[in-house]
Amino acid sequence: MCEALLDEGVEHLFGYPGGAIMPFYDALPDYPLRHVLTRHEQAAAHAADGYARATGRVGVCVATSGPGATNLVTGLATAQMDSVPLVAITGQVGRPALGKDSFQETNVMGMTLPFTKHSFLVEDPDELYPTMRRAFEIARSGRPGPVLIDVPKDVQFAACNDNGYRRLKEVPSPVESPGLERAAMLLRSAKRPLILAGHGVTLGGAEMELRLLAERTGIPVVTTLLGISAFPDDHPLYLGWPGMHGQASVNRAIDRSDLLFAVGMRFDDRITGAAHKFAPNAKVIHIDIDPSELGKVIKPTISIAADAKAAMHSILGHLDDVPEGEGCARWREELGRSQEPERRRKESARDEYGPIQVMEAIKRAAGPNLRLVTDVGQHQMWAAQFFEFTKANSHITSGGLGTMGFALPAAMGVAFAYPEDPVWVIAGDGGIQMNLQELATIRDFGLNIKVAVLNNGYLGMVRQWQQFFHNRRYSETSITGPDYEQLTASYGLAGKTVREGDDVEAAVRWAQEQDGCTFLDFHIDPEANVYPMIPSGMSVNEMIEEDRA
Amino acid sequence: MPEASTGVALNTVEVRFTGGMLALNRLLMTLQNKRMPVAGFTLGRDGGGLRATIVLDCPPESALRYTALISALADVTEAGPAETIEIALVETSADWRTVAEQSGVQAREDGKLVVASGGPEKMDDFLATLGEDVEDVVRLGPVARPEGGV
Repeated sequence: MCEALLDEGVEHLFGYPGGAIMPFYDALPDYPLRHVLTRHEQAAAHAADGYARATGRVGVCVATSGPGATNLVTGLATAQMDSVPLVAITGQVGRPALGKDSFQETNVMGMTLPFTKHSFLVEDPDELYPTMRRAFEIARSGRPGPVLIDVPKDVQFAACNDNGYRRLKEVPSPVESPGLERAAMLLRSAKRPLILAGHGVTLGGAEMELRLLAERTGIPVVTTLLGISAFPDDHPLYLGWPGMHGQASVNRAIDRSDLLFAVGMRFDDRITGAAHKFAPNAKVIHIDIDPSELGKVIKPTISIAADAKAAMHSILGHLDDVPEGEGCARWREELGRSQEPERRRKESARDEYGPIQVMEAIKRAAGPNLRLVTDVGQHQMWAAQFFEFTKANSHITSGGLGTMGFALPAAMGVAFAYPEDPVWVIAGDGGIQMNLQELATIRDFGLNIKVAVLNNGYLGMVRQWQQFFHNRRYSETSITGPDYEQLTASYGLAGKTVREGDDVEAAVRWAQEQDGCTFLDFHIDPEANVYPMIPSGMSVNEMIEEDRA
Repeated sequence: MPEASTGVALNTVEVRFTGGMLALNRLLMTLQNKRMPVAGFTLGRDGGGLRATIVLDCPPESALRYTALISALADVTEAGPAETIEIALVETSADWRTVAEQSGVQAREDGKLVVASGGPEKMDDFLATLGEDVEDVVRLGPVARPEGGV
C-alpha cells in the first residue's frame, strides 16, 4: 500500500489509526510519506480535500474500520459534491470476520456508495497494489471525485505483489466537435453575452484559456461560487458571481443576457433559483466534462461534453480573426453602470465595523499570495462578495454540500501544500466549533494558519432565514462558544478578541505577523444579514436587496 | 422527486458490468440516487459479468443523459440504448393467433402453452386483449433483444 502511494507521488496523507488499519500504520514509518495525525477522521478527509483542491493532486486520507470509516463520510460527500479527487483508505475487519457483525465492522462501501465516484473492497492480496493505483486513476480522471479502498486487516498482512500493474493510458478527451464551431459562431454574434465559469475551469487548469477567450471576445465573465479565483477579480472583464447571495447586478446581467457561455459548471440550484426563470432571454452553450450534466437543469442550445481547457482552446481557434477585446462594448458599459451602486455601498461599508472591514484588513495584511479557506454560512458569502481574488485557485470553500466545519481542517491541507503562502480561515462561530479540535494538529505541525471567526452568537444564515421566512422565530439558532483567547492559549496558540471600537487593522496585522497559528474572534452584529438574497426556488425578480426588517 | 413519468416514452438501456454484487449495488444506488424513472429492471448473467436491462420512462434526451451517467460508473463496461422484448408463457383458450397478429407480437404454441414475445408495450396490449381468457401467464423480461432478433 505504501509503495503504491509512493508510486502515485503521494507526499502527505491525513489520517487516524485504529485496530483494522494497524498493519498499514506499522509499515508507514519505513516509507518517506508524511502522515498528519488529525484529531478526528472527518478532519482527515477535509484536510485531504483541501490539499487536493489547492494542488490539483489526489488527496489521501486514512481511517480504521467502523467508527473511523463512518467519520469519513461527511468528508467524502463534500469531495463528491465539489468533484475533488480523493483516495480514502479504510481498514476493515479480516476476511473471516466479514459479515459477522464483528467488532468495528461496518459496511463502509455500502454506506458511501451514493457519494463516492468508486469504491473497492480488496479481498485478494494480489489485487491490493493494482487496486490502489486504479483508485488514483479513477479519482483524478474525467470529472474527479473521491474513491474509497476498504482493505481487510488480513489482506494488509498478506504478502502481495504488483500483479503486473500497468498504468492505463489516459485518453485525452476529444477537442473537436461541430458544437465548438457553432459555439464560436454564437459568441461572435451575441449582443449581450456572458461567460459563466465554474469549478471545472480550475480543475481543468483552464484559467489561461478562460482569460484568453474573455479578452479575445470582450465578453464579461461571471463565476460560480467554486469558480471564484478562476478569473482575476481585478480584471476589467470580471463582474462577480451570481446566485442566491451573489451580486444583484450579476443576477440582473444574467437575466438580461442573450448568450450564456457556461463552462465547467453544473447549474446548481443556488445559481439558478427557479430554473425555468433563469436567463430567460439567453441561448446557452454548456461545456462540461461530465456528459450527464448537460441538460440536467438547463436545456442548452449547444452542449459540449469536453474538458474546459481543451474546449476553450478549440473555440479560440475558431475566433482567430476576431479583433482583440473589441466586442460587446455597449454591453460592457451598461454592466459597468449597473455595478456603480454596489461599488458605492461597498465603499461606504468599509468604514463601519463589521465583516467588510475585517475582509479588507485581511486582504491588506496577507497580500496577493493569500489563500483563503472559508467555512459555510454568512461569512462564506461575505468573503466571496468582498474579497478580491487575484491569484488563481486561491479561494477554497465547500460549495455543493455546504459542510460546516470544513474550513479549519481543509486549511491544514492547503498549508501543507503551500507552507510559504499566507493561509487564512474565515469561519462563523457555529462551524468553527465543529472541528475545533484540529488546533492541536495545527500546533503540532506549526502550521502558519490564521483564523478569523465572525462571531455573531448565532447560526447566522439559519437565523437570517428564520428572520425572513419564519417571522423571527429564532428556534435553536442562538449559540454560545468558548472564550477563544483562553482556548487557543490552552493549545499553546495566540488569540485575540476584537469588538466594535477596537482596531481591526492592527489586530489583523498582529495576527499576520506572528509565527504560527493565530486566532481572531471578531464579535459582530448578531443580526447582520447577507444581501442580496434570492429566496430558495425563486428568481431574480424576487431578490431581496436591502434590510427590510 | 423522480422525473415525471411520461407514460409514453419507454427507453431501454442495456448495461454490462463486472464486479458482482458490489457493482450491482452501486448501479442500483445510482438509479435511486439520481431519481431515474425506472419502469423495469431485469438482471442476467453475461459471460463473467452481469447484464442489466433497464427500462426508463422518460423523454429520449433524458434517457441519453442517464445512460451517460451509468456509463461513467467504473464497473460498467458497456451501456447503451437497446431494443427490448418481453416473453410471456400463456395458457389461454382464446384465439391467441389473431390477437397476437393484431398486437404485433410473435407467438407460437408449445404444448399447452403459448409462447409470445415482443416489445413491452405490444405485450401489454396482447395480454390486455386476451383479458379474462388468460388462465395463467408468466412474463419474463424485459430483456434486451439479441442482435439479429429472436
